[in-house]
Amino acid sequence: MADVQSQMIKFHEAIKLKRFDENETLRDKREIILKRLNSGLKKLDLDPTPKYEVIDQGSYAMDTGVKPLNGDYDIDVGISFKISKDDYPDPLEPKKWVYDSLVGHTKKVEIQRPCVTVYYQISGEPAYHVDLAVYSDKDNNSDGKIYLAKGKEHSHKENKIWEESNYPSLINLMKNHFQDSEDAKQFRRIIRYLKRWKDFKFQSKGNAAPIGIGITIAAYKWFAPNKVTNPFDNTTKYNDLEALQHFVGAVLSNFQMVYSEGVWTKRLEVLLPVAPGNDIFTKMTNSQMTVFQERLQSLFDSIQKAQKEVDPKEACTLLNQQFGCDFPIPDEKDTAQKRSPAIVSSSASA
Amino acid sequence: MSSIVFTKIDGGKIKISKKALTSMKKFIQDNDCKKEAGGVLLGRYILNSLDIIIDEITIPMWGDRRKWFGFFRSRRPHQKVIDRLWKESEGTINYLGEWHTHPENTPIPSDIDIRSWKHKLNHDVFDGDSLWFVIIGIKSLRIWELSRNNLSYQLIGESYYSEVENV
Ligand SMILES: [Zn+2]
Repeated sequence: MADVQSQMIKFHEAIKLKRFDENETLRDKREIILKRLNSGLKKLDLDPTPKYEVIDQGSYAMDTGVKPLNGDYDIDVGISFKISKDDYPDPLEPKKWVYDSLVGHTKKVEIQRPCVTVYYQISGEPAYHVDLAVYSDKDNNSDGKIYLAKGKEHSHKENKIWEESNYPSLINLMKNHFQDSEDAKQFRRIIRYLKRWKDFKFQSKGNAAPIGIGITIAAYKWFAPNKVTNPFDNTTKYNDLEALQHFVGAVLSNFQMVYSEGVWTKRLEVLLPVAPGNDIFTKMTNSQMTVFQERLQSLFDSIQKAQKEVDPKEACTLLNQQFGCDFPIPDEKDTAQKRSPAIVSSSASA
Repeated sequence: MSSIVFTKIDGGKIKISKKALTSMKKFIQDNDCKKEAGGVLLGRYILNSLDIIIDEITIPMWGDRRKWFGFFRSRRPHQKVIDRLWKESEGTINYLGEWHTHPENTPIPSDIDIRSWKHKLNHDVFDGDSLWFVIIGIKSLRIWELSRNNLSYQLIGESYYSEVENV
């Protein structure tokens, strides 16, 4: 009943992280790192200096990023070396090229299992980190596939692997998911709403929070555009709250009974639509999954209540409790029509 | 105690806010000492919709004459409140109708009530097509709509306090 589309759009504007080409600071950070990598690689005295291609990946490239609540911006870059994985049995070797080129650039540079991370701090607080994923390029592998270098320095040998990963092609999959550009915009808004909800409701670190890419892929699978076209003037009105209600409902209905950690429990499984095709939520424990499901259900209930609510102010108050302070609550006077003054007579009743 | 929602003649919703409902319910004539009470209904015409919210009500004021069975609401003090809220809200809190109490379980409008409602529809100045009238009974309240397009009065809803209480 209550029409809160204008508040949804305001919320989206408040949380939206602009893309690289629109966001100077992040673009600069990325450029500085890439320059440093380029000069660093040359200094390593490798013969020949390995060639590579830079791949934009992550939520910036997909245009689904939200401003972080804790101020720790995350930039994802792929470094695809023109090397065959067969020539480098130890995937840590090219990761170390990246690490050695960048170490000392900031206080903290670390090799993580899926990437090399460069941390930036501003007055002691984490401000940015850049995750560089290291690939072996498809043109250099006999099977034409892209491989991600996985593992840390002291990992067991079986954890140091080249994993087939077509993560870079995910960007194209997402970009081309909707023909209609307005549908595509609603798709990205819905992802951002749920990602901010996740950041707000799961403020702790670790796997307790469902990861953003999981929400993105879930939307890729289960989101459907929600709009009404007026046949008289052919204008289209999008209803983001209804779209979100249907999407969250679809996610909830995909929780399935599975046998996990030795018990039967309800879990959500979302498979990456590109190689390696793994379940994105696999790292969440059963109890974390249960909390996730409960909070999603609470979100779903609040959305339904807000939809039934006549008063836009109260509808927005309900949504503000789910999405946090960036969700605007309008003043009462901004929810109503301005009408001319009334003059009443006296009256009798019995 | 929560708010309640009814459907208007045009299909839009009319919501009585928790605040308005709470103030009206203080005047339920559930014992012989309580006299009939009443006032005007004030609220918002919601943007981009047919929905209405009764946000505020006025309560008996100086100049009103209250009896156990009968109520006379004088014009000026209520008009003052209407003017003040309209101004403060930049024209968004508007006069929507009237309410009063009845010492009976299920309220039924008297001939005087109906005459008065029709009189108000024809003689009050207001920027809308309908007025709404609430009667607070002992066990339930009921709401009627009178529309300029259709001069007969129409019961559009009833709500039992016992049902609202637990919400
Ligand atoms: Zn009466």
